Amino acid sequence: MSIILDQLTKRYDGLPVVNNVSLEIENGEFFVLLGSSGSGKTTILNLIAGLTGLDKGRILLHGRDVTFLPTQQRRVGFVFQNYALFQHMTIAENIEFGLSIQKVPKSQRQARRDELLELIGMSGLGTRMPKQLSGGQQQRVALARALAHEPDVLLLDEPLGALDAKIRQELRRSLKTIQQKLNVTTILVTHDQEEAFDLADRIAVMSYGRLLEVASPKELYQKPKTEFVASFLGSANLLVGRASQGKIFIGPLEFPDRDKNKRNTDPERVQVLYRPEDVTLAAAKDELSDCVLGYGTVEEISFGGALESVRVKLPSISGVRNIHPPVEFGSELIIVDSIRSPEEAERYPLKVGDQAWVGIHRIHTLEHPGLSFLLPIDGTPLIQETITLAGQIARQAQARVTLLEHSKNDLGDDLILQEARKQLGSGLTTPQTVSMNFSLPDSVSKMVEKQPHDVVILGFDPNKDQKIIEQILNSGNHHLLLVPGKQSLPNNVLVPVAIGEPGKDDIQFSGRLFRHLGAEITLLTVILSDQKQEIMQNRAKKFLEDGVRTLSTMGIQANYLIKVGKPLEEITKELNSGKFNLLTLGSPLSGKSGQISLDGLVWQILMSNSKYATLIVRSQQNNRRDILLKENDIPHILEGVR
Amino acid sequence: MSLTSINQQVKPVKSTPWGRYSIRSLALTYLIVFLIIPILVIFQDGLKEGLSGLWYQITLPAALHSLKLTLWTSAMMTVINTFMGTLTAYVMVRYVFPGKNLLNAIIDLPLAIPTLVTGVMLVIMFGPQEALGSWFNSNLGISIIFAPPGIILALLFITFPFIVRSVQPVLLEMDRAQEDAAATLGASSWSIFWNITRPYLTLPIASGALLSFARAIGEFGAIVIVAGNIPLLSQTAAVYVYGQVESENRLGASAVSLVMMAIAFSSIIFVNYLQKKSKRVG
Repeated sequence: MSIILDQLTKRYDGLPVVNNVSLEIENGEFFVLLGSSGSGKTTILNLIAGLTGLDKGRILLHGRDVTFLPTQQRRVGFVFQNYALFQHMTIAENIEFGLSIQKVPKSQRQARRDELLELIGMSGLGTRMPKQLSGGQQQRVALARALAHEPDVLLLDEPLGALDAKIRQELRRSLKTIQQKLNVTTILVTHDQEEAFDLADRIAVMSYGRLLEVASPKELYQKPKTEFVASFLGSANLLVGRASQGKIFIGPLEFPDRDKNKRNTDPERVQVLYRPEDVTLAAAKDELSDCVLGYGTVEEISFGGALESVRVKLPSISGVRNIHPPVEFGSELIIVDSIRSPEEAERYPLKVGDQAWVGIHRIHTLEHPGLSFLLPIDGTPLIQETITLAGQIARQAQARVTLLEHSKNDLGDDLILQEARKQLGSGLTTPQTVSMNFSLPDSVSKMVEKQPHDVVILGFDPNKDQKIIEQILNSGNHHLLLVPGKQSLPNNVLVPVAIGEPGKDDIQFSGRLFRHLGAEITLLTVILSDQKQEIMQNRAKKFLEDGVRTLSTMGIQANYLIKVGKPLEEITKELNSGKFNLLTLGSPLSGKSGQISLDGLVWQILMSNSKYATLIVRSQQNNRRDILLKENDIPHILEGVR
Repeated sequence: MSLTSINQQVKPVKSTPWGRYSIRSLALTYLIVFLIIPILVIFQDGLKEGLSGLWYQITLPAALHSLKLTLWTSAMMTVINTFMGTLTAYVMVRYVFPGKNLLNAIIDLPLAIPTLVTGVMLVIMFGPQEALGSWFNSNLGISIIFAPPGIILALLFITFPFIVRSVQPVLLEMDRAQEDAAATLGASSWSIFWNITRPYLTLPIASGALLSFARAIGEFGAIVIVAGNIPLLSQTAAVYVYGQVESENRLGASAVSLVMMAIAFSSIIFVNYLQKKSKRVG
C-alpha cells in the first residue's frame, strides 16, 4: 500500500470538513478524489501533504507514519490549481529548487532538470520566467517541479481547473502518460467527472466531508450504491420502486431482483437507477416488447453532438416516486431522461409536445436505501432551529428530506417553506415538498401512510406537546427527532438502553444515523438499586459490550457506562456533565390498546432535560408485540423507559 | 436595418474642448500654485547670493552639524524601523492572536497624534527626572532626552506606520501557495521566507524605508521638545532652520532648507521609481 488514510477527521469551527475518511491506495495507482466544491477533497490533499493539521486519524505513506511529520519531511510532490510557480525564478530554477534544498550537486541537478524538461515537452525553455509562459506550460513546469525530488506520492489539486478546454484535454493526456511512465502513486482532486473517468484507476466520491463510495469509474457509473453517487455521475433517472418476492416493481414494470442479497434494510422500498441510455422511446406500445413504463409527453429536446437527449414527462404511477431528475414543486409526475443515437432520432423524429411510449430495458437497484426525513413546516416558534438541525443532519447523513407543509393558513408559512427549501437545497437531493390541509398529526399520518419515512423531525415545546408527539409516534413506524431550540451538530450522543431486544434496536438505529455525523456514542444502563446487583451488572456488561462492538463495526467510536440508582436521576446527571448534545431514548412499547403512551419515565426524562435534542427510537419490536407479550422476557431494568 | 442607414442616423456628438480642459487645468493650476511655486521660491531664495553664498551658509559649523545629526539619526531610525516594521507587518498578517484588530488600528496612531504630543510623551517617559530616564542615566550612562537617542526614539515613533503599511498589503495579497509549494519541496521555514517571501517584500520595504527617512528629515515638533535646541549637540536641521528664521538670517534658513528638500525630494523620486518597478514585478 502506498497511501493509507485511517479515519481522518478535520473540523473547522466544529463542523467536520473531512469526516472519518479511510482509504487505501495501491502503489502506482492513479486515484481521483471527486466531489463538488466544499466536499473536503482538497482538505484531504492538504492533510496528506501536512499543509493542514488534522484533528484525528493517521496517515501512512509507503508504510511510514507521517501523521505528525512536518510537510518538509513527507516527501510528497504537490501541484496546485494556480500553478504556484516561484515568480522570480526561471523555469530551470523552479524545477531545480527542491534539489538545491537537498544540496544535490549542480551537475546532477542540471541533468535531472533537463530530463524533466524533456519529459514535459519543454526542452530549451529553462531560461524563461513563469510570466512568459502560457497557463498550460506553467502547469507542466509545476508538475516537473513536483517530480524533481522523486516524491513518494504525487498530489494534484485540480491541476487542470484553471485551463481552457482544449489545453485541458492535451494536458490530461500527458498527465496520464507521465504518471504511467514514472509509475508514481498519484491522487488527483477534481470536480470534473469527465476528467475523473478519463484519468482514474479508481475514484472516490466525496460529499460534505464524507467518502461515499470508492470504485473503478465503470463500476461507479453502472453500479453506484448511493443516491448521491448515482445522480452525481452522469445523468441519471432515479426513482423509488417496490421490491417483493425476488422482483422489482416500477409501476407496471417488473425486473428480476438481482441485488437482493446486497440490500439489507427495508426490503419494500427500493431505489432504482436507470441511465438515459437504458430508456427506449417508441411511437407504439408493441415496439417496446415487455418493458413499458408509460405514455408521456416530450418536454425538452437538446442536441449534444453525438447524441440527442429527450426529456419525457409521464403521469404519476401508483407506487412509484420520482427522485431524479427533480420534479416540480409538489408534483407527482415522473420525469425520464433518455438519449438516442442519430439513427434512432431519424427513424422516429420527435419534437417538444409529442407523445411517446417510454420503455426501460435495464435497471440497477441501489444497495444503500438512504435515510428519509419528514420535516413538517409550519409557523411554530422553533421552526428555524428545527430546519437548521434537520438540514445539517440530512446533509451529513445523505438523507432525503420531505417538507410537509400542513394546515396552511397564512403567508408567513410560504416564506418559511421557501427558506427551508433554500437551506435544505444545498448539497442534498432536491427536497420533496408536499402540502396538506390538516392538523400536524393528521398531515403526518396521511403522509407516512402513503410514503413511510425513517425519521420525523419536530420542534419541541415540552409545555404542550405530549399529546401531539404521541399521536405522531402512533401514526406510523418512524422515529422521532425532537428539537427544543438552537442545537449544534450532534457529536456526542447519550443512549440510555435497557437490556433486551428493544435496546438493540435503539443502538442500531442510533448507529445508522449518527455514524454519518462522526459522532461518538455512549451507552448507559441504569440498574435499580434494589436489583440483584451482581447478576444484573454482568448481564448489563455483556449486553453493552455487544452494543459497543455493533457500533464499532459501523465505524463509530462508542463506549458504555453502568450506573446504579434511579434511571431519571442518573440520566439527568450524565446529561448535566455537559459532554453530550443529543439524547436517544427508546420509545415505550405500545400498551394493550396498541397505542404508545409517553406517560411515565420517557416523558419525565424529556421534561427534565428539555434543552437537549432528543431522538425517540421506535423499536421494531412494536411490530412484533404479540410475540413479545407471550415471551414476557423483558427484564425490568429501566422498564419505565420501555 | 442596414449598416448604412444606421450611419446616417447616428451622428457623433463632439464635446466642446472647454469642458474637457477646464477640469485638468483647475487641478494643474492648484498643483502649481500650492506646490511648485513655493518650492521654486525656496530655490530662488537659497541661491540669491550664488552657489558660494549657499555653500558658506551650509558649512557654518552649527548648520553642518545639524545636517549631519539629522542624517545619521534618520538613517539609524530607518535601519531599526525596517527590521521592526517588517516583523510587525509579518506578525499582523500571518498570526492570529487576541486584540489583533485593535493593535492593527493603533499602528496608524502616530499619524494622527500631533508630533508635539509625541515629544511630550517621550519627555514624560525618559526625562532625566523621571524613573526610566534616571535609570538609563545612572546605570547605562545614557541620557536620552536632549540627546541623539531621544531624537531617534521620537523618529521611530513617528515613522512607525510607514514600513508596516507598505509591507502589510503585499503580504496580505501574496498567494500562500508558493510558500506551500516550497514546503512540499523540503524547504525549511527560514529558507521559505528568504527564497520565496522576501523577494516580494524587498521593494515595499525599500519604499517604506525611504518614505520614513524622508519624513524624518523634516521632523520638527517632537524633536524640538525631546532634543531641545542645543547647537552642536542636539540641534537638528529643522530646528536649526527655525532658529535662523527667528534670528532673521533668511539666507541661512533657505540654504539648509534647500539641502533638506533635496534629500527628501530625491528619496520620494526613488520611492516612486521603486513602486513602479514593484507593480511591474508583482
